[in-house]
Amino acid sequence: MTFTLQLIFAGVCVGATYALIAIGLTLTFWSTRTMNFGQGSLLMVAAVAATTLMSAKLSAYAAVPIALLLSTVLMILVERIAIRPLARLGGSMGWVVATLGFGLLLQGIVARFFGSQAIMFPSLVFGPLDFVTIAGIRVSSQYLTVLACCIGLMCVMEIFIRRTRWGRAVRAVAHDAEAAAVAGVPVKRVVVASFAASGALAGLAGILVSQITGTVEPQFGFNLVILGFVAAVFGGMGSIAGALIGGIALGVAEKLAGGFVSTAFGDAMAFAILMAVLAIRPQGLFGRREILKV
Amino acid sequence: MNASLARFCVAAAAVAGALMSASGATAQTIKIGMTTALTGPYNEYGEGARHGVELAIEKWNAKGGINGKKIELAMLLDDQLVPDRAVQNMRKLLDNKELVGIIGPAGTGPSLAVIEMATVDGRPYMNPIAQTPKIVYPDGGKPRPNVFSFALQNDVEMKMQAQYVAKKYSKVGILVESTAAGQSAAEIITNQLKAEGRPAPVAVETYNQKAQDMTPQLARLQRAGADVIVYTGLGTDLAVVRRTMARLDWTVPLIANNASLSPPYVEGAGELVVGTQGSMIAAFGHDPLSPAAKEFADAYKGKYSADRWWGADPSRPQLSMSLTVANAYDAANVLFEGIRVANSTDPKAIIKAIEGIKDFRSVNASYSFTPDRHNAITEKDLSIFEYVKSGDQIKLQLSKN
Repeated sequence: MTFTLQLIFAGVCVGATYALIAIGLTLTFWSTRTMNFGQGSLLMVAAVAATTLMSAKLSAYAAVPIALLLSTVLMILVERIAIRPLARLGGSMGWVVATLGFGLLLQGIVARFFGSQAIMFPSLVFGPLDFVTIAGIRVSSQYLTVLACCIGLMCVMEIFIRRTRWGRAVRAVAHDAEAAAVAGVPVKRVVVASFAASGALAGLAGILVSQITGTVEPQFGFNLVILGFVAAVFGGMGSIAGALIGGIALGVAEKLAGGFVSTAFGDAMAFAILMAVLAIRPQGLFGRREILKV
Repeated sequence: MNASLARFCVAAAAVAGALMSASGATAQTIKIGMTTALTGPYNEYGEGARHGVELAIEKWNAKGGINGKKIELAMLLDDQLVPDRAVQNMRKLLDNKELVGIIGPAGTGPSLAVIEMATVDGRPYMNPIAQTPKIVYPDGGKPRPNVFSFALQNDVEMKMQAQYVAKKYSKVGILVESTAAGQSAAEIITNQLKAEGRPAPVAVETYNQKAQDMTPQLARLQRAGADVIVYTGLGTDLAVVRRTMARLDWTVPLIANNASLSPPYVEGAGELVVGTQGSMIAAFGHDPLSPAAKEFADAYKGKYSADRWWGADPSRPQLSMSLTVANAYDAANVLFEGIRVANSTDPKAIIKAIEGIKDFRSVNASYSFTPDRHNAITEKDLSIFEYVKSGDQIKLQLSKN
C-alpha cells in the first residue's frame, strides 16, 4: 500500500506542474488559437535567472519576481515577433516554427553565457530532507509546496477568469474575437495580457520544477512542455479544471505505469494517453466540441 | 621562347616552389585530429579531453617534439556527443590524409557510431572515454587492430564493483540509464555476481537520461528489498536519484559508476552526496602523487588554473580528473610514444610500436599493450572511494570499507 501511495503522491505533485504548464499553453490558445512551442525555454530562463540572482546574494523574495518578470517580458516578445506577424498570414506552420525557433534561440543564449552544464538550483523554502507524514507515508515538503502552489494558482486563475471584468474579456475574445472587438473589448490588450500571464506561469512552473530536480540546464523544460501539452489536450484545451485534472491524471498514470508495469513504460504512457484521447474524445475530458457553421 | 611563354614558366616555377616549401613544412609537423563534445550538455568530458590532449602536445613539443618534428592538433571538431555529428566529423578527419592519429569522441554512443569507419581507415585511433568494451573488442575476442582504449572499460569497472558488493551485500538492486552503456553495465554486474556465487540482483531498473523524478524506480527497488543500489549513469541524473532517495527516506548504500561521481553530482545533490561510494581510477587518490601525476597536475594548474576539472581543493586535483582530462592526456602520450618508437608516420608501424609498449608510466596507469590487449586500465588501477565532508569541503577519499 505504501508503495502505491508513494507513486500516487509523486504523480499528483509532478502532475500538478504539468497542469501549470498546460494552463500557460491554454491561456494563449484561448486568446489567439496559438501557443508557444518554445515555452520550455521560458521555464528554463526563469529558473536560470532566479539561480543566478540568488547566487549573486539577492534574496529569493527579489530573485523570483525578477525571474518571473523576465519570462513575462520574453513571452510578450514571442507574441510580438513570432506569433502576431505569422498568425495574420493564416495557417499554423509559420508560428509553430517561429516559436520553436525562439525557444532554441533562448537555449543557445543561455548555453553561451551560463554554459551547457547543469546548474544547482537552491532549495527555496524546504530542502529534500524536509517531510511530513500523511497516512503513514513520508511526504516530501518540497513536493507538497509545489502541489500547494500549483493548486492555489489554478484557483486564483479560475476566479479571475470567471469573476473579473478582465476574465470575462478573455472569455469573450476566446469565444469570438471579432464580436468582442465590436462590443468594445480591447482585444489586442487582452491578447498581450494572456501572453504575459502565460509567460509568468511558465516561469513559475520552471522554478517549481527546479525545486524537485535540484538542477537546471539549457535543455530543461522541453520535455516538460510536451507533457504539459498532453495534459492540456487530455483535460480539454481551454479548461482550467481540465488542465488540472489532465495534468494530475497524467502524472499519476505515468508513475503508476512506471511502478507497476515497467519504469521504461512511464514516459511512453503520456503519448499513449495523447493518442487515445485524440482518437476517442478529441475535445478532451472537459473540452467542448466545437461546431463550425459553414 | 616568346615573352608570354617565359612568363608562364616563371609563374609555374614559383607555384611549384611554393608547393614544395609547403609540403616541406608539412613534413616538419606531426598532425593529429580529434572529435569531441566541446559544447552541449556533456562538454564536461569533451572540453576536459581537449585540455588533456593540448597539455600532452605542449609537453612533447617543449622537449623538441617527436624525433625533431613538432606535434599539431590540426583538426579539432565539436560533436556535442551526438552520434550523427560524430560520424560527420570522423568523415572529415579520415578524409584528411595528413593526420597521423585520431582521438575519438567523449562517449559510448558517438564512439560506437564512428568506430567501424575508423577501423576500416586503419590509422591509430585512441579512445579516451567511451566505456563499452565493444569499442576495442567488437566480439569479445581479438581487439580492433588500430583501436586503443584509455577509458575505464565498463567490464573492468563493473566487475570490480560487483566483486565489492558481493562481499558485503546479499540483495543488490541495480539502477541504470536506458542506454547501451547502462544495459551493458547491468548485464556485466549480474553475470559477475553469478560468477562470484552470489544471488542475482533483486531488481534491475532503468530510467531515461534527464528524468526529473525517480520515484517509481526507487520505490520498485525498495519494494524488492534491495540493501544496496548499484548505479550506472551520469552525474546530473545521480543527483535526482539521491534527492529522491532522501525524499523517500531510504538510506541504503549507493554505489555509483566513476562517470557519475563528477562535479554535476555534487552541484545537483549538495551535501546529500556524503556517503555515496564508487569505483574510481586511483591516480589522484595517492598521497603523494606519482611523479607522472604530479608533473601533469603542475602543468594543468599552470595552464588552466584550478578550474572545475581541477576541483575545489587548490592543492591537488580531484579524483574525477582521471576520467575527464588525464585519460585523454595519456591517450595522446601513448600515441606520441608509439610514433617516436616507430620513427615513422606509417599507421602499421605506429600500431606495432604501441603494441610493444611495456610499463610506460603516464598519469592514470603504467601502460602495457600487446597484439591481444588494447585496453589500458585494469582492476588494479582502481579503488573504492567515498564522498566525505571535511570542514566546508565535500570531497572523495579512499573508502574505509
